[in-house]
Amino acid sequence: MKKTLSRRDFLHAAGALGGSTAVYRAAMGIGLMPVAARAARPVLTANGASKKVLILGAGISGLTAAYELQRKGYEVQVLEASFRAGGRNLTLRGGDRIDETGYPQVCQFDRDPDLFFNAGPARIPGHHQQLLEYCKELDVPLAPFINDNRNAWVQDDAMFGGKPIRAREYLNDTRGFVAELMAKSMKPDAMSAPMTSDDWERVREYLRHFGELDPQFRYIGTSRAGLASHDYTVPDVLKAPLSPSELLKSRFMLIMSFGETDDQAAMMMEPVGGMDRIVAGFLRKVGHLVQLESQVQKIQVLERGVEVTYRHQGAYQKVRADYVLNCIPMHLLAGIEHNFPKSYSAGFTAVPRGKLFKIGLQMKERFWEREGIFGGISWTMQDIQQIWYPAHGIHRAKGVVLAAYTFDPNAGEKFARLSPPERIKLAVEQGSKIHPDYGQYVENGVTIAWHQMNHMLGCAAQWEEALFKQWFKTLQAPVGGHYLIGDQVSYHPGWQEGAIASAHHAIADIDQRVGAGKSQMVRS
Amino acid sequence: MRRQLLSVLAMLVMALMVRVARADNAFDYCLLCHGSNANGNYAIRAPKLSGMEPWYLARQLENFAAGVRGSTSADASGHEMRPVGLRLRDSGELEAAVKFIGTLKSARPAATIDGDAARGRQHYAACAACHGAKGEGNASLQSPALAARSDWYLVTQLANYKNGLRGTDERDTYGAQMRAVSNALPDEQAIRDVVAYINTLR
Repeated sequence: MKKTLSRRDFLHAAGALGGSTAVYRAAMGIGLMPVAARAARPVLTANGASKKVLILGAGISGLTAAYELQRKGYEVQVLEASFRAGGRNLTLRGGDRIDETGYPQVCQFDRDPDLFFNAGPARIPGHHQQLLEYCKELDVPLAPFINDNRNAWVQDDAMFGGKPIRAREYLNDTRGFVAELMAKSMKPDAMSAPMTSDDWERVREYLRHFGELDPQFRYIGTSRAGLASHDYTVPDVLKAPLSPSELLKSRFMLIMSFGETDDQAAMMMEPVGGMDRIVAGFLRKVGHLVQLESQVQKIQVLERGVEVTYRHQGAYQKVRADYVLNCIPMHLLAGIEHNFPKSYSAGFTAVPRGKLFKIGLQMKERFWEREGIFGGISWTMQDIQQIWYPAHGIHRAKGVVLAAYTFDPNAGEKFARLSPPERIKLAVEQGSKIHPDYGQYVENGVTIAWHQMNHMLGCAAQWEEALFKQWFKTLQAPVGGHYLIGDQVSYHPGWQEGAIASAHHAIADIDQRVGAGKSQMVRS
Repeated sequence: MRRQLLSVLAMLVMALMVRVARADNAFDYCLLCHGSNANGNYAIRAPKLSGMEPWYLARQLENFAAGVRGSTSADASGHEMRPVGLRLRDSGELEAAVKFIGTLKSARPAATIDGDAARGRQHYAACAACHGAKGEGNASLQSPALAARSDWYLVTQLANYKNGLRGTDERDTYGAQMRAVSNALPDEQAIRDVVAYINTLR
């Protein structure tokens, strides 16, 4: 079975892992698309004192909009369907309720500041400037987040009989092999015209350093792949390079550059104590405007303004506002009674919902630290795909590892079909291929099937290029006073920065309308 | 002592109030998937429930709980309902859930299926015996109404019967009947035709 990887395949693989955004970013990386300028937080100039804005959903986009608008004098009300605010920004600690339809769970972690699990977003890259600005403004302390650890494991049943190897071995032994192959097979006369012989020598030199080749351009191993021993009273001994034919059998090559991508490369950050510190920060400012357990049942765009009907404590309530900012997931909005034009609402069903799945396990010992791992990610080609090790609480007794994080909707569905204990059992079976005694350390765990989580029933919207083209502008534009927001209406779904961008886009538009003295803009 | 008693009493009342508040909200999660007034949400393949006969709803929830329905992963949506049925049965809330659905305002869903209603009419003759000439259902035969349901859902279920994803469990006697009848529909097109005809029933 011969399989070569084309650029198209790579883009597909990157998409499978990172969502369509990864495809977009990857395409930008290889020069297919222009790089967009970075958006700044809009400066709202209009006085909102006489305007009411109703926000549907207290996730990051809704909270951002509430925070900005209330500062400009708008009367702001936020309706949240769930018993908690935050949306997919969810950090689980001992005693927390996991509101999965069909399988409600209670987190059994010990009550300890280091024992938490970020079930939704878990990392922030340094260029997500809007989110970082809010962290600063809302006094949310940040710590480095370790995404890429060369000492973590790579496991694939397709190579070395399923035995795990260190990431540094995979990455550097394949690089050494490829560099040697290129250095030896490239011929100066095969280079195209503008290449001078000096250029040719420089390319060879680059290859030598790329793969750490010896003076004869042979790859005989490199300390980058790790030493055979760390006894520093004796001379260093290089490990023998692993068989390239075995290494290249693994589909790990599709994700080996994960930690180098735009959104995943060092330096990454996380809020100290859990991602939901950002939600808590927003709630300190606008928590009094948020009404929980209020599920929207009907949205009517009126001649002037919007009327929303919701259920709260078993009764239907009506509320009118000049503007509505709505971050209800589109696939749920599709089931809510409304009077939107069909040309708009048909988009709600057009974009498939994400089915990301995560497991967090409380381990009674930080056994990974004995393996020289103090953070970062081990990769496996099994359903669980990843194991993350906490970089906070190093050397403490216990830790919470991420024991599964799958982007593949089939794997997500497979896990979701199981009961929570069965999911954990499967994750432990698969994790044991990386850490042989894995199961014996497990004390308890939480499982998050995002497409079955109450009030979500999905993760990042699965946009594709054709869908963007067909629907994005329509869904981003207001219908009367109604705006769709959330990471779902951004080119960065699955990231809080995308959610913020959508909120900024909508409030800037409202600001303009209020400033121009028009509360309505008829949709053409 | 008296003060203690009072505070205990106050706590009891508060606990009761919380419980009442929860109970009021308890079935809102039906609407999360099945939409406003449980009129269905095609985006997540959740069919319309409002207007369904209470005895039919109860039986299906019991079927989900017992694994008569939704136990095969090939029936993805049914599989999602399985734990919901279990939870409702085990918490003793199944009847209350059915009752809640009965309070909702049923609206006729928009047609989503293309098919040849004229051809479907011929196939429907076999359906009419149990489900009525107007698709109004027949409680004495335990046959639910078919008119004004989510049409895409009828298509899915007929295909599920035909493909053995529903009606194969030996406890499912009504399902077995449906499985036999569905086999009389030769193919996917016939299923769509008959549902297109059902869409015309008033």
